[in-house]
Amino acid sequence: MSFLDVLSGIFQGLNVTLAVTALGMLYAVPFAFAAGIAQHCWRGLAYGAITTLIEFWRSTSVVILLYGFYYTLPSFGLRLSGITVGSMVLGLHIGAYGSQAVRGALQSLDKGQSEAGRSLGLRGWQILMLIELPQALLAMVPTFINQFIQLVKGTALVSLVTLTDMTFRAKEISQLVYDPPKIYFALLVAYFILCYPATIVGRWVERKVGAGRKLDHAV
Amino acid sequence: MLFDASFALSIVPKIVGALWTSILVALLSCVGASLLGFTLEIARRSNRLMRYAMRFLIDFIRSTPLLVQLYFFYFVLPSYGIKLPAIAIGVIAISLYYSGYLAEVFKAGIDGVKPGQFEAARALGLKRLQTVVLVIAPQMLRNIAAPMGNYFIGIFKSTPYLAAIAVYEAFGAALDISSDTFRYTEPMVVVGVIFLAIALVLAWLVRRLEEHLLLSAKR
Repeated sequence: MSFLDVLSGIFQGLNVTLAVTALGMLYAVPFAFAAGIAQHCWRGLAYGAITTLIEFWRSTSVVILLYGFYYTLPSFGLRLSGITVGSMVLGLHIGAYGSQAVRGALQSLDKGQSEAGRSLGLRGWQILMLIELPQALLAMVPTFINQFIQLVKGTALVSLVTLTDMTFRAKEISQLVYDPPKIYFALLVAYFILCYPATIVGRWVERKVGAGRKLDHAV
Repeated sequence: MLFDASFALSIVPKIVGALWTSILVALLSCVGASLLGFTLEIARRSNRLMRYAMRFLIDFIRSTPLLVQLYFFYFVLPSYGIKLPAIAIGVIAISLYYSGYLAEVFKAGIDGVKPGQFEAARALGLKRLQTVVLVIAPQMLRNIAAPMGNYFIGIFKSTPYLAAIAVYEAFGAALDISSDTFRYTEPMVVVGVIFLAIALVLAWLVRRLEEHLLLSAKR
């Protein structure tokens, strides 16, 4: 098997990798905005509750979250497919990191902005939607791109819960032909092809937006 | 029974016993990733060719999943006659993966040191190595202690990946119990809670350190 044969064999798992990424984004983006805005606006008990939720998804190791949900949900009567659990766990994990970018961007705005909105007689949600979010959006972009890359890379984990993604395909191929250097180098290349464009764009955006963000994190 | 508390308690000693392996791997990886990341960043600054080569290497490391890098070293090194224990492979892979991120942190740290400091070091007749170790590194460390700390937490949270290459660390021990007893809920909850607790304490310490450094920088 030539290197390209191996690579195209690995890319047979691309649809699963992309599906988990896309579904993961459906969890990550709404969760990031909802949780980040809630943490920015809420006080007292509600603030404590949302912070606990974010910290649960953010600070627990993603490997443990994935195994934990995949293997324990059935004993609570919930039978979900690997792709559902995988995209939910990865998405919420990444979304929890994203929420910190949302909150950080909202909090770094000048206080005069929301005060000006109040003095114009705008309501709280109007200030948020019309004044704060539009200005904060740009500052979130670098972190969001970085977290997107983390999500794509994180999908490799679903091979551990028997989904036939690119990593799983590589393992299948390695059972047919014994050539670890070729197969696993091809697997590295496959992920590199997927993530490198985003890495480049992320680097460029970060330079444009400036302000070295410290919020990006590794899965 | 959904959650058997006495069973959960009975497995704590076994998981905590294996936790020392996780901690050992994490500590070694923190040292390895820091040294490697700093080397990458210094190499990136040495000349034009190295700048492009190192930037590409760092991007490559950051654009491929930790799990795949782990498999790569685990399956490929033996083909070249290099036989290492799985735990050493784990330390190498985690060190390499996080060195790509720490190199970026070091870059921001070095960029944050005022140019006058480099010039002053040269005026005093310090050699390149002396300048880096005696002048730049101490000032840089203050600026980057917090992001570095966050990546160290990331390293600790990544140690469960090692279960994928059959290293007996805390998560591996939990999986072991699960496959022996066919119970997943308790081992996953116990190991998840332990990791979450440690990660939260470490995050709190990093925040304290950050506040302390900010205060002492203002003085």
